[in-house]
Amino acid sequence: MSVLLQYLVTGVSRGFLFALLATGFVVIYRVTKVVNFAQGAFVVLGGFIAYSLLGAGVPQGLSEVLAVLASAAIGLLFGVVTLLGRMSTIASLITTIGLALLSEAIAMLVWGTTPLTYSGLSGHDLRFGGIFVQPQYLLLIGVSFVVLASLWLLLDRTYVGKAMTACASNPYAARLTGINVKAMGLLSFAIGGALGGVGGVLIMPLFPITYDSDVNLAILGFAAAIVGSLTSPTLALAGGLIFGIAEELVAGYWSQANETAVALGLMILLLLWQSQRRQQAAKLI
Amino acid sequence: MRRPRSLLGANPPATVGVLVIGAATLVLPQVLSAPNLITYVTIGLATIVVAGLSLLMGFAGQVSLGQGAFYGFGAYTAAILAIHGWPPLVALVAAVVLTAAVAAAVGALLLRLEGHALAFGTLALQLIFLSVLSQTPSFSGGAIGLTNIPPLTLGPIAISGYRSYAYFVWIVAAVVLLVSRNITRSRPGRGLRAMATSPSAAAAAGVGVVSYKLRDFALSAAYAGLAGAIYAFFLAYISPDAFSVMLSIEFVIMVVVGGLGTVSGAFVGAAVVTVIAQVLTSLGTGPSLPAQLPNVLSEGVYALILITLLRLMPDGIVGLASRLTKRLVGTRLERRATLRPSAGTVTGPVLAPATVQADGAHDAPAGGDTMPSRGGRTGGAA
Repeated sequence: MSVLLQYLVTGVSRGFLFALLATGFVVIYRVTKVVNFAQGAFVVLGGFIAYSLLGAGVPQGLSEVLAVLASAAIGLLFGVVTLLGRMSTIASLITTIGLALLSEAIAMLVWGTTPLTYSGLSGHDLRFGGIFVQPQYLLLIGVSFVVLASLWLLLDRTYVGKAMTACASNPYAARLTGINVKAMGLLSFAIGGALGGVGGVLIMPLFPITYDSDVNLAILGFAAAIVGSLTSPTLALAGGLIFGIAEELVAGYWSQANETAVALGLMILLLLWQSQRRQQAAKLI
Repeated sequence: MRRPRSLLGANPPATVGVLVIGAATLVLPQVLSAPNLITYVTIGLATIVVAGLSLLMGFAGQVSLGQGAFYGFGAYTAAILAIHGWPPLVALVAAVVLTAAVAAAVGALLLRLEGHALAFGTLALQLIFLSVLSQTPSFSGGAIGLTNIPPLTLGPIAISGYRSYAYFVWIVAAVVLLVSRNITRSRPGRGLRAMATSPSAAAAAGVGVVSYKLRDFALSAAYAGLAGAIYAFFLAYISPDAFSVMLSIEFVIMVVVGGLGTVSGAFVGAAVVTVIAQVLTSLGTGPSLPAQLPNVLSEGVYALILITLLRLMPDGIVGLASRLTKRLVGTRLERRATLRPSAGTVTGPVLAPATVQADGAHDAPAGGDTMPSRGGRTGGAA
């Protein structure tokens, strides 16, 4: 029982990482209809920047915040590149693959190819009943929850959020009402970058990251986002938790080598189920 | 009224180009050194894969990020069968058929979705494929891979040595390109072409969009499986490292460089990207240079290609070349074509050239095999 609880705690914290990534996919896709393959790169670059800042003597806390801001700036830059000119869905997907490769090249050049990590929240493992939890896990869960909740408030309760939703549902009408669709697209990319950066700075103390971790992170984030059909932030959170817990249970009870394969198999099944549902909906019309 | 045929066919620049390239492929294996012969074979194999992926991206408007997995699946199938005593040629054919069957099964389900779902779905397939390889060491050799793959024999003829593989690969590549060219000009090809512009219009005109996409996807996987199987026999050793996600992305880059949906673009893209990769590797390798520099350089250059090319020349090198030759050589043909509106100009609606071809007039638009509708002014893939 306590073993199961242990897996669940780890699974939930991984799930929040995937949820941060998935929400990045959702925010960008909703506004721009771009599926951002470089979403995982924000995690890698954000984490690595925090690593370097900490190494340069910047205090813990400030380093992480600066790294998240830097990730947001990188996101904005990626947005500028991707949204330049009118591109089809596939062409913009290919552009973001290019941006992911560029990030990998830069990460490899600056930080090398060895896995990097830094010590996170210090302090003894906390004990809940029969299980021990590293404080960093609680920090990851807590911060992610606050970030996702405030993003939800931003999207749902503010003018900017409403404007972004308007761009998502009808860009033409949004432009007619005076919303700057392009700026909203760039903002969504910056938010996506910041979300990835938050994930990066929180996950690095728990799981060492390499320059090429971004592809695996991106595909698992995408998998979680698919749960919400790439448009619902709440379902993306649910998706993140499903995939985080599923991976951890597979790793715990079966084998660590199979965790990603099982999660990806799950993703393909999910895609198929959705296509089935969409077809049935099409038949009803 | 038929256009009078010259000795060089309807499109002299393209015909001359094909003849020159054909002659060069025959002569090159005789003059190249051993390392260059390996590159030469690599380009041939990549051409076969890219020919399929280009049809998929250019016509069905779908990206597969798992083409490296199909390449690997073909390689492993051929290698395992041949090691277990199957005749190599039978193993090769079985590998192609099995790869196509797997792709058809997967595609039947995934192709109903929008483009990005197939991209991520195929990427997932590739990661699952690599994971399965590492989990089945008794069967696939695990991380170490498979060694002692017997050489390819075609009945009494054994193909061994770089030079004979060079000829074999390029004969196969030529056949593949010819098949692709004929497909793009056949009835299914015209259907695909219509689909590339507007799936709903194509469906309304009686094109079975889902079935065409599926056949396109299975064909592209079969090409990849074929190239992978030859690769396994050529190297006599395969390991999971050879079939990374990066390989799949490289194939996509080759398509973008050559030009989506063009047959000769497959060859141009494969050659240009392979040579660039070789040059960057030799530039980045040196005693005092960091070990990761070749990868940094190649990933950086690939990134710039992907980011800029779709904007600057969305129809790739071949599209650009055909537009230039059209401007230089083809103005006379063009003028004649404008006198006959039915002939369908290069920038005309997609179905126009198709109806002309159905009349039996060999009226390929200037620029050889470029898809007429995809002039690329609005940018890239559908």
